[in-house]
Order: sequence, then C-alpha cells, then structure tokens
Amino acid sequence: MTAGDHGPLTRLAAGVGRRTVAAVEIFGVYGALLGGSLYWLVAGPRQRQPVRLGSVILQMMEIGVRAIPIIATMAATIGVMLAIQGIHTLKLFGAESRVVIGIALSVTREFAPLITGIIIAGRSGSALAARLGTMTINQEIDALDAMGVNPVRFLVAPALFAMIIMVPALTIFSDLVALFAAGVFVGVDLGISMAAYIDQTIEILNTDHVMHGLSKSAIFAVLIALIGVANGASVSGGAEGVGRVTTRAVVQSISAIVVTDMAFAFLVTR
Amino acid sequence: MKHEVTERAGTTVVAFAGDVDLQNSPQARKVLLEAVAGEHPVLVDLSGVDYIDSSGVASLVEALQTARKRDLGFALVAVSESALRVFQLAHLDKVFTIHGTLDDAFADNR
Amino acid sequence: MGAAVEYPAPAKVVEVSDLVAHFGSRLILKGVSLDVREGEIMVIMGGSGSGKSTLLRHILGLERRTSGTIRLLGEDTSTLNARQMSDLRKKIGVAFQGGALFSSMSVGDNIMLPLHEHTDLDPTTMEIMARLKLEVVDLAGFENLMPAELSGGMTKRAAFARAIIMDPRILFCDEPSAGLDPVVASALDDLILRLRGALGMTIVVVTHEVESACKIADRMTLLDNGEVLFTGTVDEVRAHPSERIQNLLNRRAETDTIDPDEYLRRLTGEDVDGGRV
Repeated sequence: MTAGDHGPLTRLAAGVGRRTVAAVEIFGVYGALLGGSLYWLVAGPRQRQPVRLGSVILQMMEIGVRAIPIIATMAATIGVMLAIQGIHTLKLFGAESRVVIGIALSVTREFAPLITGIIIAGRSGSALAARLGTMTINQEIDALDAMGVNPVRFLVAPALFAMIIMVPALTIFSDLVALFAAGVFVGVDLGISMAAYIDQTIEILNTDHVMHGLSKSAIFAVLIALIGVANGASVSGGAEGVGRVTTRAVVQSISAIVVTDMAFAFLVTR
Repeated sequence: MKHEVTERAGTTVVAFAGDVDLQNSPQARKVLLEAVAGEHPVLVDLSGVDYIDSSGVASLVEALQTARKRDLGFALVAVSESALRVFQLAHLDKVFTIHGTLDDAFADNR
Repeated sequence: MGAAVEYPAPAKVVEVSDLVAHFGSRLILKGVSLDVREGEIMVIMGGSGSGKSTLLRHILGLERRTSGTIRLLGEDTSTLNARQMSDLRKKIGVAFQGGALFSSMSVGDNIMLPLHEHTDLDPTTMEIMARLKLEVVDLAGFENLMPAELSGGMTKRAAFARAIIMDPRILFCDEPSAGLDPVVASALDDLILRLRGALGMTIVVVTHEVESACKIADRMTLLDNGEVLFTGTVDEVRAHPSERIQNLLNRRAETDTIDPDEYLRRLTGEDVDGGRV
C-alpha cells in the first residue's frame, strides 16, 4: 500500500529531504507562532477574538513577579562576582579604582540580560513547554481548535507578550540590583563611598549601554517563548514525553540565548 | 426576534416572537428584567416563539428569580413543545408555572 | 445564528466522501464515505487501528487529508478560511475521549469558555447556562471544582456539558464509555439518548463498545482497517451475512484478512520509514 520502491538510495534521499524539511519546518513554526501572535494582537479585536489582557497579566505575574526573589539573588551575586574579579584583575595594573567602569558596562550590556534570560528560560520557558505539552497530550489544544478558539491567540500570544514585557523589565531590575551589590563590595574593599560609586556609574552609563542590554533581553524573551511553545506542542508519548520536551526547551533556549548574545555583541560592535 | 409589552388586567404581558438565540437573548433579558422591575405580575407569552436556546432559557430563569425576590407573580404562556422538552431536560418545568394560553393564565389567577 | 435553514428532511449534516488520509506514509483511511442525517445518532464503530479516531479528527478539521471531501452542515470544509471554519465550529460540540477539560480552570469556567470567547452574553446569563448544563449532565453544584478533583465519569459529563453549552447542531463524542465501569458507561449512553430526545441534536459517536453502540445507534458505520464495511441500522448490522462483520460484532480475532505481502514487509521492516516515531 505504501509507496513501493524503497531502495537504499531513495530511502537515504528521502531521509535527507525529510531532515531538511524538518529544519525548514521548525523555522516555519517559529515564524508562524510569532506572526500568528502579532496577527491576533492587531486583527483579533476586529474579529471579536482579542488577545485577552487578563491572560497577559496573569502570565506576567507568573513569569515576572514570582521570579523577582531568585533574580535579585542571582543579580546580586553576579554583581559581587564582577567586583571581586574586576578588582583582582585591575590590581595587576594598579588600576583598582577603574573597576567601576568595568562593572557598569559588563552588568548592563552583558550580565544582567544574560542571567535574567537564563533564569526565565529555566523557570518559565520550561513551564510553558510543560503546560503546552500537557495540554497537547490531554487534547486540550484540539478542544480549543474544535470550539473555534484559536490556540495561538488563546495560549501563545499572551505568553509571548508577557515575556516581551517582563524579561526587559526584569533586566532593568537586575541591572539595579547587580550594580548596587557591586557598589557595596567596592565600597567595603576599596573604600569608595556609595555616593561616589553611584555618581561614577551614572557618568559612565549612557542610554546606548542600557538599551543594548534591553534590546537583547527582548530578543531573549521571544526566543524563550517560541522555543517553549514549539517544543511543548511537538510532544509525543505521554507524561514521559512532556518531561523530554521540557528539558529540550530549557537546553535549546539557553543555547539560543548565549549564541544570540554573542552574535548581537559582534554585530553591534562592528 | 420581536417583542411586545402590554398591560392587561393589572398584569404585564411580555410577548416574544421569532427565535430567541445567542444573538438576541441579551435583548430578551433586558426586556424581561425591566418587566419584573415593575409593580405588576408578569406573564411571558411564548406562543410566537419557534425556537428558544439555553441563553434565552437562562434569561427566563434570571427573571423568575428576580420576580420571586420581589414577590411578583411570574408565569410562562404557550410554551411550544420543543421548548418544553428543553425545559424538561433541565427539570425547569417544575420551577416555572406554565399556562396553555393567555386566557387560561388569567382564568387561573381568578 | 442567521436564518434557520429549512432542510428537506432528513438533511445530511455530515457528508464524507472518498476520504483518503495518511499518517506519515502510512495509509490510515482508504476512501471512506459516510453520511449523517439530521437528528440521528450515528455510531462509528471499529476496533483500535480501524481508523475511527482519525476519521473523527478529519471530520472536525483537526488533520490534513490526502484527498476526498468533507461537508459539515452543508459546507465543504476545505473551501473555508480560518474565520469561516471558526464560525462553523461554533455550531458543533465535541466531547473528547479524556474530557480535555482545561486543568487550570474550574469546571464552571471550562463550560463557560465558549460563551466567553464567542458571545456578548451577560455574566449572569452565562453562569445560569453553565449551571443548567450541569443539571442536564447530573453534575449540579460541581461548577467550582477543578477538573483534577473529578472522577473519570464526572470528567466525561463535564466535557459533555461544555460540548453542548452553545446548543450545537451536531455533537461529536469520542469513545464516551471508554475507561468507565459498565454502570457509569451505561448512564452516559442514557445521557446521549436524552440529549437527542430533548434537543433534537444530531449526535455522532465514535466507539469500540459493541453493546453501547447497539443501545444508542440509529445507524452504525462499521470501520475496519481504514475501510467502511457497512452502514446501516442496528438490526441490519446484526442480520448482515458477512463473516467479517459478525466477527467484528462478536470481537473474534480476524485471521483471514492478512495481506501476506504487507505482513512480510511489516516483519522485515521494509515499511519502517512510515510516519511512526
């Protein structure tokens, strides 16, 4: 019944073809999810199928507000770590007092967006994949479709937009916490007063530095959401499958964040 | 769906005609709640209603409850066979007073 | 919604013709044709692997078909755009096998979801409607429970309540009695009969349970191996001379329909790059 000739060559060709198709398909899926979410945001209200603000806010609470303690802890740790490392390295040149520049730039441009992205990927990207995976297995996605409710509008768009708002917001928060924690350490270690530290930091930082970090964090947000959703929706094989896609979503989104971070830094500094 | 509100012998008679469905039951609800906000008992004449869906039934339930709270009489008139089956499915025939015709309703109230 | 169209009785509300469907490269449906008339209970019966669930998913527009046409309420679903499809779906209800209730919402919110998404009704009206439907499925007072707190039979009832909240023209039920004890299963059969009796709904049930099928069906379609064996009333099916049909009804294992070539291919793994994972 199935296509008759399955010679080794045809099979290999078919295999290669399928893999290529699969790769193209994945980007197609991401594009469709992103495009679909934007489409429903703009066109939804006119079709009386709006992306619900309530759902977005609920997701924002889940993604953002509940992550504040862990992000504060991690950002403070990174801030102190940068201060220790910076002072240690600059001591070699007897330039310890220059550490403030290093801290200000590396926190806002690199470490705050990165640590925020990684924590959100681990916390919310995984939760999103698990939720979508469970819903797929329980036929809840089919049920939405069958009742004429578009799953992208109902599930994906709120998570995506909540991510796009919350990850940059949390990045600003970790900027502040990391800079402050570093300031405390620098104060104790080098005897620079907090007021002087803050003055210096403000002098060094301009909008470009902060925006560099924030733009990156917005891209991270999109990556986390899309990778979480796409993995969750591709689940197969019951509860075990949900565990598998959840792990895959976290690994993929952290990898994507790190690679994007590098690419972004490269492109912007050209 | 069309509706008509009239007074007869100290009773508000609300008559609906056509289909009561998801599109127009909000309007039916408004009419019913206005009727039970008045001072007179209310009769809802469904003789002209071909089809009533559950949103229409729900509006009738809400109006009945409001009327009860205000000690107003509230009864249905000429519920079609198909609508009656919907009422029976949810045991609502035990909750509503249902009269065969308007004249019956007034005769019963004597 | 719109003007009620008067069909010359009995109108066909579901029309499937020559439906061919693959899963990967595996052929699942081999040209299935099926009509469901307005107001009847049509049972699609078959064993596991017969393609009955796939057929249902196709009718609901949840899968892409290889060829063939499907008409729902007179509309060819392949010609509809997303918005028209969504409008059409408001007129059908589906009770999925596992209930498919949204686990993050209470039973009441689950049932009201279609109303929230598709109507401008007053919240009071929606709540009363949800409670009415819960009455109908004998789950009165359960609206504040979460789906995880319900038993298997209660979950299916709640799924029925959600499926009929918009007073659909057609109700689809996937394996209503699967995984339930006989008493609960039989109560669900009664519920299906009551719904049709009171609301005149067209009901399509997919099941592998012979007793349940014979109890509720006006007509049955027997599906085996992706093909329709026979469509007819319960009596016609029971009286049918074909051994294959009688085997299916009596659940006797089938031995004589194995295609030796295909079987050999299966054993030697020649067929492995089908759609299977």
